[in-house]
Amino acid sequence: MQRIRFIDRMAQGRMSRREMLASAGAFGVGAILVPVRARASGPLVCLEWAGYDVADYIPAFVEKHGRTPDFAVFGGEEEALAKVRAGFAADVMHPCNYSVSRFVSAGLAREIDTARLSHWPDIFPALKTAEGVLTDGRVVMAPADWGNSSIAYRPDLVDPAFAADPTWGIFFDDAYRGRVSMLDNELLIQIGAMVGGMSYDEAYALSGAALEQAARTWGRKGVEISRFLWTDASEVQQAMASGEIVAAYAWNDLVKNLQAEGIPVAYAVPREGLFTWFCGLTLLNSGRADEALAYDFIDAWLSPETGKLLIEGSGYGHANMKSFEIADPDAVAAMGLRDPVAVMESAILFRTPPDAVQNEHNRVWSDVKALR
Amino acid sequence: MRRTAGPALLAPAFLVMAAALAAPLGALVLLSFWTQTGFEIDRTFTLANYWRIVEPGPPTWWNGIPFPFAYPVPAILLVKSLAMSLTATAAVILVAWPMAYFLAFRVRRGKAAWIILLTVPFWTSYLLRVFSWKIVLGYNGAVNSGLIALGVIGEPLDFLLYNPVAVMITLTHSWIAFAVLPIYVSLEKIDRSLLEAAADLGDSRWARLRRITLPLSMPGTVAATLLVFIPTVGDYVTPTLVGGTQGTMIGSLVQQLFTRQDNAPMGAAVSIVMMLVIAALVLVFLRAIGWRRMRARAGA
Repeated sequence: MQRIRFIDRMAQGRMSRREMLASAGAFGVGAILVPVRARASGPLVCLEWAGYDVADYIPAFVEKHGRTPDFAVFGGEEEALAKVRAGFAADVMHPCNYSVSRFVSAGLAREIDTARLSHWPDIFPALKTAEGVLTDGRVVMAPADWGNSSIAYRPDLVDPAFAADPTWGIFFDDAYRGRVSMLDNELLIQIGAMVGGMSYDEAYALSGAALEQAARTWGRKGVEISRFLWTDASEVQQAMASGEIVAAYAWNDLVKNLQAEGIPVAYAVPREGLFTWFCGLTLLNSGRADEALAYDFIDAWLSPETGKLLIEGSGYGHANMKSFEIADPDAVAAMGLRDPVAVMESAILFRTPPDAVQNEHNRVWSDVKALR
Repeated sequence: MRRTAGPALLAPAFLVMAAALAAPLGALVLLSFWTQTGFEIDRTFTLANYWRIVEPGPPTWWNGIPFPFAYPVPAILLVKSLAMSLTATAAVILVAWPMAYFLAFRVRRGKAAWIILLTVPFWTSYLLRVFSWKIVLGYNGAVNSGLIALGVIGEPLDFLLYNPVAVMITLTHSWIAFAVLPIYVSLEKIDRSLLEAAADLGDSRWARLRRITLPLSMPGTVAATLLVFIPTVGDYVTPTLVGGTQGTMIGSLVQQLFTRQDNAPMGAAVSIVMMLVIAALVLVFLRAIGWRRMRARAGA
């Protein structure tokens, strides 16, 4: 009865705007009819790598604020960049040395006031001034974690010849068709070019016809050989554990995790080279949360306790020098090098080409996958 | 008052449609006439995106079919998606029709219970249902471990997952209930005395099916076909999860254009072209089967 009267009155125009809003509000419609007031603050929103979106890496933050931030996970930085550019209001993002410049050129990164980070004095000095951390003299990324990218393989399932002399060529080898998995990344084309004899310095900056050619030769082949292109580390980890795939592009943590499960797995030093990277936290200007929350989050990531967990749990390095003092000495020893500078010099540090070239790589990579 | 009550009753639905469908669609059309350069969107009106989709070029061969375009990716993926979606739709109708027939003609008691049972899969999210197929078809999944336990195979079969067939199986399973219900409704509406009359006049069981049941069920079957075909062409969740490197569809390209490739205007143009092609195909299909006549007959 009530409802019919309401509709009749509305139809006759005998209802004030206020009454209308009150009734609409009861159904949640009001929210779209009243002017939106800009929010001064809200929960901290963090764009994190899948797997890093847990409280374990930020104990200090959770202790202080009683909760984790709102995490949104990503599998690659270009995907995260697109999300923020499409309007996703993130406060903090976790890019790497080779990808932070993309956020800077998109006008999204803010300068970090290192005086507000209590752990900043304990960061390896070389990392504080590394390319990517500093842009035009401003700190745009607080370095946090570092590690490798290489081939993880099952020594019990691959050809002994591969184990004796590992090569990135396995991702383009017909003998391993459907038995390997590469990361869903344009890096595959660059690695292919390296297998073909090119240096990384040339391969990462390929453009124009040379890039198209490399995509046709190596990209297409690599996409055919991989059983699937992974975006989710747990997916590739399970596939490797079951023997569905025998080798995969992987970071240190996959090897560590599988070894912990008692599965035979080895981390290759390919003849074309081992990759290395370091990542960190960047403040974005798209966020709505109180800035102090973002600084607490970054500071929590830089704490030696987080470093200890990374070293012992994942086999990654950490930017805080004190992490190595409190971590299990065996785990530190197992990492081999403990100085990030030595690690970066011993391997190929990932780099990002100029924006126009990076966009070209993104496009070519999508096309290669689409035409499979 | 009578005259205004009708529009007022329609208003909520109309507003929702305008805000949630017409406005975004309008935005998409507008976007497709702009261009992206680097991080900036150039707002001058241009047909460049559409031209890029149809621009002729040296043919690219895909499965023996030449695509004479400079940028053949959208065309190839559109054809591939249409083919995959048509196959899935055919499979859905083939499976759904007998189920609907059983429900309409054989089930006498507890029809409501049967219909509720049919919708049980929808109590879980679409994503979870797709994921379950990953578990069923996976390398150490249900099918493989079952066959190994029975001693049928020694090594797991690895062709079950990560290919177009897996995408089609998943789509078929996911959309069956959407097809059963409209077919069931049109079968249920068939006047049983027509069947009795045909039997009295000596028609066999098959002749009755062919001459009465099938034609009169067509409105529901056609509705079901469209209901499955239209949304599956643009699907991208299923190919992403179970398609592997071979299962890419046009929806995946649109998603990539909007995200990784950072070319939203091109993504908009590809979606518009996809919608137009689907709309054209549906119109041709409806015309070919004589939809108007069929509706008139079923309504009579």
